[in-house]
Amino acid sequence: MESSILQSIGVEIVGVMSPVSICMLLVVLLVYSLSPSNPFSSAASAPPIRTAANLVYLESPSDSTTQKLEGALLNALVFVILVAVVTFLLVVLYYYNFTNFLKNYMRFSAFFVLATMGGSIFLSIIQHFSIPIDSITCFLLLFNFSVVGVLSVFAGGIPIILRQIYMVSLGIFVAAWFTKLPEWTTWTLLVALAVYDLVAVLAPGGPLKLLVELASTRDEELPALVYEARPAVSRGMENRGSALGLLVAGVSDSGSVELQAINMDRNRNENRSNSESNAAETERYMHEEGESSVDLGERSPLVGNAQRRLSSSSDSSDYSTVVVQSDRSRQIGSREFENAVDEEMSPLVEMMGLGDERELTSGGDGMERSGRGIKLGLGDFVFYSVLVGRAAMYDLMTVYACYLAIISGLGCTLILLSVCRRALPALPISITLGVIFYFLTRLLMEPFVVGTATNLLMF
Amino acid sequence: MTVAAGIGYALLALGPSISLFVSVISKKPFLILTLLSSTLLWLISLIILSGIWRPFLPLSSTTWWPYGILIFTAVAFQEGLRILFWKIYKRLEDTLDAFADRVSKPRLFLTDKMQIALAGGLGHGVAHAVFFCLSLLTPAFGPATAFVDRCSQMPFFLVSAVIALAFVTIHTFSMLIAFNGYAEGNKVDQFFVPIVHLASGMVTLVNFASGGCIIGVPLLYFLTILTLLHCGKMVWRRLTENRSRPGS
Repeated sequence: MESSILQSIGVEIVGVMSPVSICMLLVVLLVYSLSPSNPFSSAASAPPIRTAANLVYLESPSDSTTQKLEGALLNALVFVILVAVVTFLLVVLYYYNFTNFLKNYMRFSAFFVLATMGGSIFLSIIQHFSIPIDSITCFLLLFNFSVVGVLSVFAGGIPIILRQIYMVSLGIFVAAWFTKLPEWTTWTLLVALAVYDLVAVLAPGGPLKLLVELASTRDEELPALVYEARPAVSRGMENRGSALGLLVAGVSDSGSVELQAINMDRNRNENRSNSESNAAETERYMHEEGESSVDLGERSPLVGNAQRRLSSSSDSSDYSTVVVQSDRSRQIGSREFENAVDEEMSPLVEMMGLGDERELTSGGDGMERSGRGIKLGLGDFVFYSVLVGRAAMYDLMTVYACYLAIISGLGCTLILLSVCRRALPALPISITLGVIFYFLTRLLMEPFVVGTATNLLMF
Repeated sequence: MTVAAGIGYALLALGPSISLFVSVISKKPFLILTLLSSTLLWLISLIILSGIWRPFLPLSSTTWWPYGILIFTAVAFQEGLRILFWKIYKRLEDTLDAFADRVSKPRLFLTDKMQIALAGGLGHGVAHAVFFCLSLLTPAFGPATAFVDRCSQMPFFLVSAVIALAFVTIHTFSMLIAFNGYAEGNKVDQFFVPIVHLASGMVTLVNFASGGCIIGVPLLYFLTILTLLHCGKMVWRRLTENRSRPGS
């Protein structure tokens, strides 16, 4: 008996949601386990962490509300301007083909994040749980961890799962770092970034939009830190022919025309690109591609009629819907600057760089040969987790509410993605919902629920 | 009372849901999405309710009747929400069927429909347990525990976990019952669900009496078992009917 369609609908949405959930869960655990026990050490060692996010104003609890608000707004403004500048720099660098430079910079920054920020987090974990370990072993382990991480970011031949793990852990480190920002600054920063994201991706001439378009016209993979829900297609290119066969076998239901469209796409890609893959991975890819094409077709019900109409009218474009590419990674390049200026700043900048963008390939152009899965920039991971981590400092209830809000926002974005077929900012919807739910929960729901539940009343 | 106790309370309330999630829901991505959206719907309903009741809070904890009104409005609101959920589901089902036709896959089986209802109910139940029990557990991870006058035999967290477990079960399976009732036009099932929900809410009012949980909790579990039995009987009947006339 054939499996029901329930099994295949929404696979890719869940494929994106689960790493985000894992990232948020770990950040919350980290914040939760480290913060209450550590108020003294963290307050003593780094009370005023000075980063790019609070260049202007250093929040102190004694300030008045207006002071805090003004300072936080200024901070957010400065940070967003910084990010915008860096992103434009990135665009310029990319425009003049400094791709290798960017890639190497990304490697360096990945190493930097893994080694220093990860190191400091590991250190605090070790201290907190009194894990007996000597410094040499610890250093060796950390070094190995970082080196493998750097290799996995751009080199081929690394299992996709390893790459995904490192992407998530990068997100966790940076987010855990960001949760140390003062409260007001965090909230204004999140909102400001969501707005920036919206502008940068959607407005004509927005830096991220420029980047994405540039990359797609050049038919290049963005040298970015991006989480791929599915392996990059480029590696699987060698086997395209056979992959097709698999596809046909596996998905024979979904119309041969569509399959052909893929095929042409692929051939085109093949011609353009030198295949860099190793055989072992290819097989898996083929398999996954088969799956993904199924998903594509089948996801449409969620989107409703519009999508169906689209897919029936244009077969080839149907496929491209799936591809979301994020170029935040580019922005990572921006960090370089920051590093040069100020080392502490870099984490912030990175996250920025990671900003979220997704790009959809359009039509049968095969613009996006680099990937056919949904890609989510690391920045999304980071800022979602920052929001949840900040909520974790208040109460568990706000954490659940924010988690649900963010995940549903992400779901909305993904559905919009399949309707609009272009790069979309992932932050705005989720962050807006998350912030709204945080304050609603905190102001309205908590007294209500606590009032009833402490009287052992439920309904 | 340490971390172990806190985890124990959490598992007591959510353990059955977790096993249900792992064994049924997590295999099918669409069910996960259903679960998440139904959880979100329940959260939104809770926020709206608390928004309505916010001006009257805090209620004095000595008189019970304001809480009775509160529970009545809450249950009425949530049952209205269930009808809304059913309408949405109905539309979704049509879309899914149309889609299945398009990719020439079989339409939704009866079990699929039931699983969707189960996921929806589990979403409600999990949201309930998470917000009413889990979010209050934070102090339970610390070095102490708490008792309340109403129920001096057990720690407060234990009672709330036990009650939450009952409600998770009721929410989960009454969604199945309600969906089947709507689908078949069966009046008994349609009224069974709100009545059980309201009754179980009212039973928790017994906890107001000192030591009331001795009576309230068993009553609540009686209702839970009633729901379970009814749901089991109904599912069994539909499955056997379905088997006897295959192809329907």
